[in-house]
Amino acid sequence: MTAKRTPAGMRTAKALLAVCAVAAVGLAPQPGAAKEYILTAAKPNTLVLADPEKREVVRTYPIPGDGSPLSVAPSPDNKVAYVLTNHWGSISGIDLDSGDEVFRADFSTEDTRVRGMFAIAVSPDGEEIYSTQLPVEMGLGEYTVGAPYVAVYRTADGVGAKPVRKIEVPRRTVLIFLSDDGSKLYAVSWDVHVYDTQTGEEIGVHKVYNWDRENYYPPDVFGVWVQHEQAKSFVNPYFALRSDMSPENPDAWKTGMLTIDMKTGEFEMADFESTSAIIFSAVRNPVRRNEVYGVYTQLSKIDTDKNELAGRVELDHTYYAINVSGDGSEVYVAGTMDDIGVYDSESLDKLGEIELPSGNDMGTAWIRMIER
Amino acid sequence: MKHLKPLNKKAQALDKAAEEGTLDEVRVMQTVVMGCTSTLDPGWEVDPFGGVAALCQPMEADLYGCADPCWWPAQVPDTINTYPQWDGDAPSAQRDWRQLQAVYPKK
Repeated sequence: MTAKRTPAGMRTAKALLAVCAVAAVGLAPQPGAAKEYILTAAKPNTLVLADPEKREVVRTYPIPGDGSPLSVAPSPDNKVAYVLTNHWGSISGIDLDSGDEVFRADFSTEDTRVRGMFAIAVSPDGEEIYSTQLPVEMGLGEYTVGAPYVAVYRTADGVGAKPVRKIEVPRRTVLIFLSDDGSKLYAVSWDVHVYDTQTGEEIGVHKVYNWDRENYYPPDVFGVWVQHEQAKSFVNPYFALRSDMSPENPDAWKTGMLTIDMKTGEFEMADFESTSAIIFSAVRNPVRRNEVYGVYTQLSKIDTDKNELAGRVELDHTYYAINVSGDGSEVYVAGTMDDIGVYDSESLDKLGEIELPSGNDMGTAWIRMIER
Repeated sequence: MKHLKPLNKKAQALDKAAEEGTLDEVRVMQTVVMGCTSTLDPGWEVDPFGGVAALCQPMEADLYGCADPCWWPAQVPDTINTYPQWDGDAPSAQRDWRQLQAVYPKK
């Protein structure tokens, strides 16, 4: 039996969302009192604003149309949240004050189906949005897979925006982010490719899969979450097997952190342990900058000065995504289910949790920090 | 392939690969079923090491993380293109999993 959303069910869902949105207006942050908030998303197509201090969701925003929200990227002035949604076929920009959709880019055209695979990034001046996209030409008798690219949109084009330029990137480009000054686009694929954001010219490659490190096989880099706003540092776990040791030796399997400083462009890959836990995403502490936190079914703390594991605790359940408070004191773990875990960044003790009132899954949604 | 004749481009490519002995080049992950299917059968998944110890806990925490991007090892319908409403009545995998059903080709 095919699961279908009935018209009556849709009406009820929309009505509930509308009620939630109206009820939340009174809880909206007041101007003049800038404080930190968590921005994430959940099913069905809902943007979520949470207050980490109160440990509660303060407002939810229905995102127009269908789909599960995935990537979340705030504008630099923290007034608009851009979300990849519509089954990865659109970016919707939601005004965090009015709740209105103020930007929308639908990727597909009449004869080409386009999906955005994971990453979106907003330029530091807030004028452009970058989106990784995969086009497939839908012929009458066959599909033709096109070359992947990063599409660039002008935020000022609002609803109905079309790409103003495209930057060709290697296949398997999943994560993208911009340098702190906005001049460089980093595309994380087998290797990390660096492009001039205006000309699209490739200006550098940091070798990852194709590294020439002695006594190692090519590393495996997994990551579909971006959260670099606090420390201006891109950190992502990698896993590698030593070629000079027996694969039956547990010490032959290494976990490390790939780091790119978004201001200086400095690139580093360093092992910190023999693999003993999986890590899906990581974030750097903006105050104690040698500390990186990684999350999956455990929360790990890594000292990147000493390149060693500094702490690890078991979590209540698996989480995909992670972020950290601006003062570096609290770590937030999110994604998968319906709660955001709050942990002490020093002791890794659990301090609390923020439950999503809907009880709905966050799935792969990102978690971002903003000030309002 | 003696009794089979390729009729389209893909079949011809497969035939050519078999003749050239290059079929193995596309079997890198043959031990893992990949991508979306027409059934819902969580529980058979394997972790990156071929075991189960490193899978998400609980399984429901991972269901939509795998289903939404057609990720391996999600043996679930394709919600990106073909069955976008498969999980429309089940926004919480842990609470609503009974709403998740198998899908069938549209007539």
